[in-house]
Amino acid sequence: MEKAILFLSSIRWQDALDITLNGYILFRLYVLFRGTNAFRVLMGIALLWFLQRISSSLGLVVTSWFVQGILAVAAIIIIVVFRNEIRAVLQAKNLRSIFWGFPRASTLTPVQIIVDSVFELARRRTGALIVLPGNEDLSEAVHSGIRWRGLVSKEMIVSIFWPENPVHDGAIIIQGNEVTEVGAILPLSSRQDLPSYYGTRHRAAAGLAEATDALTVAVSEERGKITVAKGAEIRSVREKGELSRILEDHVGISSVQKKGLRKEKLELAAAALVSFLFISGVWLSFTRGLDTLITLDIPVEYMKRDPGLEIIDTSVNTLRLELSGSGALLKTIKPDQVKVQVDLSKGVAGTNSFTITTNDVSLPPGVALKSVRPASVEVTLDVLAKKDLPVQVDWAGKMPPGLIITQAKISPERVQVTGPKRLLDRLSTLYTEKVYVDNIEKSGTVSSQIVLNPASLKLASGGKIAIDYRVKQKEP
Amino acid sequence: MRTRALLALLTLLLLPALSDPNLLEGQTEKPTLGQAVVCEEMKDGSPLNQGIAFPVSAGKVMCYTAFDPVPRKAVIFHNWYRKDELNTRIRLVLQPPRWASYSTIQLREIDKGPWRIEITDQEGQVLSILRFSITD
Repeated sequence: MEKAILFLSSIRWQDALDITLNGYILFRLYVLFRGTNAFRVLMGIALLWFLQRISSSLGLVVTSWFVQGILAVAAIIIIVVFRNEIRAVLQAKNLRSIFWGFPRASTLTPVQIIVDSVFELARRRTGALIVLPGNEDLSEAVHSGIRWRGLVSKEMIVSIFWPENPVHDGAIIIQGNEVTEVGAILPLSSRQDLPSYYGTRHRAAAGLAEATDALTVAVSEERGKITVAKGAEIRSVREKGELSRILEDHVGISSVQKKGLRKEKLELAAAALVSFLFISGVWLSFTRGLDTLITLDIPVEYMKRDPGLEIIDTSVNTLRLELSGSGALLKTIKPDQVKVQVDLSKGVAGTNSFTITTNDVSLPPGVALKSVRPASVEVTLDVLAKKDLPVQVDWAGKMPPGLIITQAKISPERVQVTGPKRLLDRLSTLYTEKVYVDNIEKSGTVSSQIVLNPASLKLASGGKIAIDYRVKQKEP
Repeated sequence: MRTRALLALLTLLLLPALSDPNLLEGQTEKPTLGQAVVCEEMKDGSPLNQGIAFPVSAGKVMCYTAFDPVPRKAVIFHNWYRKDELNTRIRLVLQPPRWASYSTIQLREIDKGPWRIEITDQEGQVLSILRFSITD
């Protein structure tokens, strides 16, 4: 009990938000993609992932690698193969339906009107082809349709297929209670086993049913027969009741509709619970296993220094951090995700000691700091000052024999330097770069640069120095 | 009262007589630096081959200083610095009425680089700075 309380108290609000957010995303993916082929494949991939984890934990190296390889290409396969379904979900629906709404058969398909219309067309021996889409998008399979958007009625359906009607030659598509398109061209089936008396209309009905999850109803002009195609199955229908049942099954209308709704609610609640539990499990596996330790050497960043102070020296430049967390998290951790920033805002001129606290160390979520070595850093700060210093030439090399440089006029003779005060106090002269005397044979002028050591010193003006020197013969 | 005033007057009259008889009006008690040079060697009491860059092969280098006048016996120092580090400090005694003296350092390979000599009095006041280099 105590452990449970301790565990609950250790959960941060960020963790709760993390689980809720990801749980909801998972749940929404289920809601949007359920019933589609893409969802079934996603479930298969999830199973493969579990298999990979299990095989990995059991030490089945080849199996683990094999499944991992399949998973690696699975994402591409899903996107390529199910691009139409994904597009239909993400584009066809508005933002509210993606983030919040629950797609339901809000507009029921008037099955009875369709059945009556079909039998009326059969009685009159008027050829007809009716498409009732499933979950898949038909835009890839159906072409040249004319937008209609008329409410379904027996009179309208019969009149569309009236032989004198310009759009009678083609299929109509019924979605919900609307005829959305007329005169649509469907793909023809290339099956060889279809009866010989099946004409183009029947082959079109079979072709679309094979390519998609739509249901098609064809009425034969010559024989007045009604044929229904779904998937690979083509069957003749003789009675209204039979056609009603087939259509109701296809559009999801059941006589016990209330029961269906309750079942759907229960299914959604179960999906929400499973999503939440799944994400909680993933979160637990990633963040709660504190059984692994790693050590990282992280460079120290010294921050918020008073602009009037300069860092002269630091006791360390890197700290050794011992981190704990789940093995999965620590495996993926990179040194640039960990930062040690020492706040120098309270530093004063002189040597300051700063103890490293957890506030100074920023870590990725789920990773804990076990220890820091060394536990404190010493930073020597100094105020910035200016000093006027003489410049001296650093002559070097070998003078030609018999010659001596007697004097040199340096311009400028003195320069102003800015730097830490304690450093400047120790400095009494600035030296030029080495000026080589090897080729000097007579008086002349040479230019050089001032060497600043340490580099924290800065010259008020440019560091170029002109040297006007005099040479004469040595006296014996 | 009259006796006390007489004594004070007598003291004022005798005070100049108590001071140094060698000092003329306007002179300080400190020696005045007349010449300060760095040279390779001394010849007949004078610096020979004065310069600002000397080869280490010369073996030695000298700092010659001449003071005129030297009002009274005094002490000066030749402080030899290599870069900013004090290498050696040589104490020299000056005798009135004028005095010239020099200090010498022996050169080694590690002595190459920029040098300076600070000539200071006993109180540490810098009288002159000489700069030179030891080369190959």
